[in-house]
Amino acid sequence: MNSNLEQSFVSQLEQHQNIIHKICRLYTSDEDSHKDLFQEITIQLWKAFPQFRGEAKFTTWAYRVALNTAITLYRKKVKTVNTIEFDGKIHKFNHEDYNYEEEEQIKLLYKAVHQLNDIEKALVFMYLEDKDYTEIADTLGISEVNARVKMNRIKGKLKKIVNP
Amino acid sequence: MEELDLLKKDWKKNEHSFPKITEQEIYAMLHKKSSSIVKWIFIISILEMIAWSLISFFTADENYLKTLESYHIKTLVTTFTVINYIVIFSFIFLFYRNFKSINTTDSVKSLMKNILKTRKTVQYYIWYNLVMIGIIFITMMVATCIYDERFNRMSGQFEGNDQGMLFWMMILGFTIVFFGLFVGVIWLFYRLVYGFLLRRLYKNYEELKKIDL
Repeated sequence: MNSNLEQSFVSQLEQHQNIIHKICRLYTSDEDSHKDLFQEITIQLWKAFPQFRGEAKFTTWAYRVALNTAITLYRKKVKTVNTIEFDGKIHKFNHEDYNYEEEEQIKLLYKAVHQLNDIEKALVFMYLEDKDYTEIADTLGISEVNARVKMNRIKGKLKKIVNP
Repeated sequence: MEELDLLKKDWKKNEHSFPKITEQEIYAMLHKKSSSIVKWIFIISILEMIAWSLISFFTADENYLKTLESYHIKTLVTTFTVINYIVIFSFIFLFYRNFKSINTTDSVKSLMKNILKTRKTVQYYIWYNLVMIGIIFITMMVATCIYDERFNRMSGQFEGNDQGMLFWMMILGFTIVFFGLFVGVIWLFYRLVYGFLLRRLYKNYEELKKIDL
């Protein structure tokens, strides 16, 4: 029974692992902490898995638990703010339509996102994942208005960092 | 273009650029609880060493040193102590290395191998301690028989009454019983403390074995 549950969890996670990688991309800036956070999230997801009854999609459930882990659990562990140089090694870029200026700006943007606080990173993540404000508000337990205000503030912050 | 939309464009483009983690690796992550067990083994071994050091520090008064000197085993005991500390430190280092390697492994196979290695290290550690205690006990016993004045007076009395044989039989019996009790208690202590952790480690190993098949 337990091993069946484990098997089903592992195969679903393997299939949808990108969602966790994406969260790690926003919350960490080097390969080791990316791996650490990935593992931490995996363990938290597994602990929470018995409560997942398939009412929501696995991905929807997983990204919420994963974000919560990144916000609460990880914050306790890593007290220092990550301001390390953005590491392109794990975040490989597609170099097809290479545009140097845009590329530089994107690098700078990732660096800027890494300087945001954990809640703001969660907002950015959901924005990038095309979640609407109702869902953002619901996930973070804040009002929709508050979510919009926060989002605008983030946009302002990023603009300032990218164009000082 | 607004900053976040530029980011979004890149975000979508690189959505699948992550290193793929295999099911095996995920299993290994879920069974990382081994690392916390091994961490406890490491911590307990340190606590144990501190406890023994404190005990010997507080019991090694002048009387004790004088006794050692009169038994002519002061140098021997000091040598034993130094060797003991070196060996114990090496074990603690090994425990630490086991903990580190279990902590950083990401395949089921190497996790299993590390668990077995850790179990072996702990078993060697326990055996070492028991044998060391045995050696020290026997040394003390022999030294007492040869050098202790009161003991010699007593044995002289018995031998004078032609009861030498009886006396030595009694001493031997007493030694065996006391030795058995002493080593037994210590063995029990190790079984309780480390045995508990080793059993949990082994359970984890069995689960991993099922996955690996």
